Amino acid sequence: MTSLAKGPQLPLAAPIGIAAAPAPGRKAAPVRWGRRFYIAANVAVLVFLLAPIAIVIVFALNPTPFIQFPPVGVSLRWFEKFFASRDFMHALLFSLEVAAMTTVASTVLGASAALAIARGNLPGSRLIVATMLSPLMLPAILTGLALFQSYVLLDVGRPLWGLVAGHTLVTIPYVVRTTLAVLHNFDVRLEEAAQNLGASPARTFFEVTLPLVKPGVMAGAIFAFIVSFDQFPVSLFLVAPGSETLPITLFNYLKFDLDGTIGAASVISILLAFIVVIALDRTVGLRSYVKL
Amino acid sequence: MAAGSAPRINSLALLILPSALLFALFFILPIGLMAVMSVLTGNPVVMPNVAFTTKHYARMGNDSYYLEVIWTTIRIGLWTTLAALLIGYPLAHWMARIKSRTGHALLLMAVLAPMLTGIVVRTFAWMTLLSDKGVINQILTSLGLITRPPQLMYNETGIIIGLVHIYVPFMVLTLTGVIGRIDERLEQAAENLGASPWRAFIEVTLPLSLPGILAGSLLVFALAISAYVTPILLGGFQIMTLPILIYQQISANFNVGFAAALGMVLLVISLSLVIAYNHVLGLVSGQRELR
Repeated sequence: MTSLAKGPQLPLAAPIGIAAAPAPGRKAAPVRWGRRFYIAANVAVLVFLLAPIAIVIVFALNPTPFIQFPPVGVSLRWFEKFFASRDFMHALLFSLEVAAMTTVASTVLGASAALAIARGNLPGSRLIVATMLSPLMLPAILTGLALFQSYVLLDVGRPLWGLVAGHTLVTIPYVVRTTLAVLHNFDVRLEEAAQNLGASPARTFFEVTLPLVKPGVMAGAIFAFIVSFDQFPVSLFLVAPGSETLPITLFNYLKFDLDGTIGAASVISILLAFIVVIALDRTVGLRSYVKL
Repeated sequence: MAAGSAPRINSLALLILPSALLFALFFILPIGLMAVMSVLTGNPVVMPNVAFTTKHYARMGNDSYYLEVIWTTIRIGLWTTLAALLIGYPLAHWMARIKSRTGHALLLMAVLAPMLTGIVVRTFAWMTLLSDKGVINQILTSLGLITRPPQLMYNETGIIIGLVHIYVPFMVLTLTGVIGRIDERLEQAAENLGASPWRAFIEVTLPLSLPGILAGSLLVFALAISAYVTPILLGGFQIMTLPILIYQQISANFNVGFAAALGMVLLVISLSLVIAYNHVLGLVSGQRELR
């Protein structure tokens, strides 16, 4: 998928690279040193990005209850402790439950909104898009605070639907963006061709539009799931005591303790992130949605 | 033509309604309520005689403590932005210019995987690295470089390190988009005319990527000033920022009005930054269409 997107650039780029190639022969030394520094700086940045994640994995597998470096062995005791802990298990299941509900809600709402924006000829569509993407840019802690205040004013307590609504709000932008990206890219003439061949608008929608939009919607759904699963600021205000999501439970645990159980919980979260990245690459290709 | 396609188009437009309802009820209305609460003396549902007041805002202006908190938040945001820019630029440049498809995909994964790992998990990772008996201090001690471990967290430096790690992917992705749009042949032309690669970068690429630098910085700053988890854990509950203060007003003092006023301050700052960000990026894509 990635290769498809990049394909056309290559034939153009290659001859230019060759044309520029003679330069290093003339003034080899400065070029090489600059190049080495460039690579070294980038490797350092990559280490900075990835080392903390590697350390967490090492910490989770290390049997000692405190941080020890270099590690002294490999054990799964922290994973056993994590899966045996009622609090963590309850939180993990609750997080998965909230993430599943959020994914369904924001995928259905977000994908239909994107369709309306791209094909509905709505007046003020730029403003609508900006509004629908705004939960991504505005501090999520304010979304949490504002919802919390409203629930207090309405005296509804901290219901599950209130939490899911908050999560849906902060995940909808991803679905809208990935779906819109696909809708803008595909050829409208395909729809016109179907209709010219006698298909009804409904049939065109289900047999042409929907299959073509599917990868964008899928990517949005995957994003919605992981963002909801990791969501913190909105949950901070909206979870009811006793039924907390995994990030909130981890946070409360972290305030007092730094043992390997957190490491084990973190590894599960990291694995999920990697699965998501690979899944996204397989569905739509990573390039198509990284536009910020 | 336009009239003929209008009916079909309108039926699809109805699909906006469910999300419009969600946004109206769970986003616009609550934010509006927050604005109202910030200028009321109490909760209008519980108390029958609430009145208009500016005391919550006056409290912020009159007490140097709150101004100090706002300044700390902004200072942390500025340092985070600067560091994220210095760290993110080389990687963004590499990502925008790398020829190999596999290399590009791997770089992208290296940037996205941390981004999709939860904020609590990444903050925890930095706690294992930076704490007094953390990985960095253990390595430095065992190498004999230090005898007494320096304090790497529970201060602003620790917070900034953690925040940079969390928000540098946003900087990289914004910059990659802008650098990728700069025609590579411009740099090559400069080099063919005798400029060193460094000079070509300084005089050609860097000025052309200024919109990306501006947009990325606005985004990272907006995100950094609204962070809660990282400042509270890496600051060891010692350093007060605006989001921490907002949550404290709810959880400890239950002062909903003051929390709302603080929220409005954060909202106004973030909103202006986001509008500026969109404006800058709009200019970049506008230029591209004009070219």
